[in-house]
Amino acid sequence: MTDSTTTDETTNDTTTGGSVLWVARPMATAARQFAKSLFRPSTIVYPYERLEDPKFREKVEVASGKPIGVGQIWDNYRGVHALNIATCISCNLCAFSCPDICIDMVTVPGGDPKHPKKCPQIDYGKCSFCGFCSDACPEGCLTMTTRYGLTTSKRAEMVYSPQRLYDVYRTKLPMNPIRLARPENEDSILLDPPLCIGCNACARDCPTQCITMLDVPKPEAKPGEKLPKRIWKEPVVNDSDCVRCGTCISVCPKECLFWGTRK
Amino acid sequence: MSNATLYSVSYDLVHAVLFAIGSVLPAPLHGWIESDGLVTGLAVLVFGVILLAASMLNTILLIWWERKLLGRFMDRRGAMHVGYAGLLQNFADGFKLFRKDTVRPREADPLGFVTGPTAYMVTSMIMFGILPISSGWNSGALPLSLLLALAVFSFAPLFIFVSAWSSNNKYSLMGGMRSAAQMIAYEVPLLLAVVAVVIVAGSFDLTTIVYEQQNYWFWGPLFVALVVFVAGMLAEMERIPFDLPEAEAELVEGWNTEYGGMLFAFFMLADYLRALVGSILVVLLFLGGWTMPSWVPSVATSFPLAGIVWFMVKTYAVFGVFIWIRASLPRVRTDQLLRVGWNRMIPLSLLSVFLAAALVTVKCLPVFGCVPSPGI
Repeated sequence: MTDSTTTDETTNDTTTGGSVLWVARPMATAARQFAKSLFRPSTIVYPYERLEDPKFREKVEVASGKPIGVGQIWDNYRGVHALNIATCISCNLCAFSCPDICIDMVTVPGGDPKHPKKCPQIDYGKCSFCGFCSDACPEGCLTMTTRYGLTTSKRAEMVYSPQRLYDVYRTKLPMNPIRLARPENEDSILLDPPLCIGCNACARDCPTQCITMLDVPKPEAKPGEKLPKRIWKEPVVNDSDCVRCGTCISVCPKECLFWGTRK
Repeated sequence: MSNATLYSVSYDLVHAVLFAIGSVLPAPLHGWIESDGLVTGLAVLVFGVILLAASMLNTILLIWWERKLLGRFMDRRGAMHVGYAGLLQNFADGFKLFRKDTVRPREADPLGFVTGPTAYMVTSMIMFGILPISSGWNSGALPLSLLLALAVFSFAPLFIFVSAWSSNNKYSLMGGMRSAAQMIAYEVPLLLAVVAVVIVAGSFDLTTIVYEQQNYWFWGPLFVALVVFVAGMLAEMERIPFDLPEAEAELVEGWNTEYGGMLFAFFMLADYLRALVGSILVVLLFLGGWTMPSWVPSVATSFPLAGIVWFMVKTYAVFGVFIWIRASLPRVRTDQLLRVGWNRMIPLSLLSVFLAAALVTVKCLPVFGCVPSPGI
């Protein structure tokens, strides 16, 4: 106890010969920092200077003589989405994959009047910027950009219609290039033939038109047996074109399509 | 050097305005308006208003200076949005504080709670009226102006303690007691350091002390006294590293914990007014006041108001050093503070008094800082 007190007294004695250094050393440190930040402190004056602004970055790099070294973080930044309406196939996968249920598929002009084209509309009030939607998008038309300024004064303005997302796309901001590769052993769309009535709903609604209705032979009716009333056609799915969106399963009136491994 | 002083300028101004008004008025009013008593009274009023405006303007500029400089020490920018480079930010803050309600705790003593900050503010302002800024900006040649200034300067602990006591808050009370202890501990070495200056200058009149420094500034021969004076002044101004009374980590906000709105603004302004006065005292006593060394080209020292300009440049530079110290050093403990005050500062200041006396006795004042000049 006595020892520790003594040590404390001696080390903290500001009046010994070290006291000049105790004052001078931190003051020298502060002076060095002052000289370094006299003309340009490290602070980035955010609304006026933005790191993603190439002009600003060039200015800072020229002034400081070295790159500011933040370029890499932008490559996989998950900001506001960009939507290329032209390549969107209305497959609904983004809305399915959204954990926050913030994506609505809304009608956009320019589709077939009977089967209107639907594109995602994102409510950024709910969005958690997880990026699942852009990972799920089979056509790469929904991506995430480096834009982050979402501030508005109205809640309604947080909802980005497809047109607004397309406007973001047209600004050519850096897009998030990281995309998940499709899994090797993906399930395919399989058919339970006895249930099918050949109604063509799946082929009609398939966003990639990878379903073809092929004729099946009409069996001979045995005596006493009544053939089912149906169209004698069956869907055949082209697995290489299929994006596994499941639209066909959800539109099938007889629930004869299902996920499974093709033998 | 013209003979225009601040008072003569304000007298001439009032005289001209009143005589212009009186010339168009009928006879009885004419005589009253141009009477000497009215002119003199209004001139004193204008003189005081100019002093008040100058002190407040400089105080607010000093806060800006501290915010900007401290920002640079911390690798940031400080205030920058209101006005050019944030110059008007403190005015905006002041207006905000003006508009706020003054909340007084129910158990607080109403008289002391209000008079404490007000008297603190007023005594700090009186300081600014006493100190000469240039040969013209001079509130009369008081033969003991240094003593008067230091006497008014040392009123502060009393008012701080009054307001801390009347706040009826344990943090305020602790802060006020610390403040009183600290200020009394550092009053003694401060005054002894001043004694060294007085011995060399041979006068208590601040104007005479400045003119004694025409040939050499006192910081060189009286360096020990300067160190003691600056350290004591830091403690008197309650600035880091001696800001124990306001130690926000332990005492919330020290003796002004309970204050808000205009009364807090009084404390804030008075703090910086005292910082300004402290810097002015350092310039007056050790850095030659408004005189400049002879190697400075006469173009830079002969334009109108050159004395005031150079004085303010020096003052802001001295305050810049205070900011530098604030940016560098951590807060000391109470025991360290008092031990340094009583055990080290007083012997050092006595040493400086002895050195000053020796220098005067052997009549060999070393020439530091500047070579002899004819003066300004």
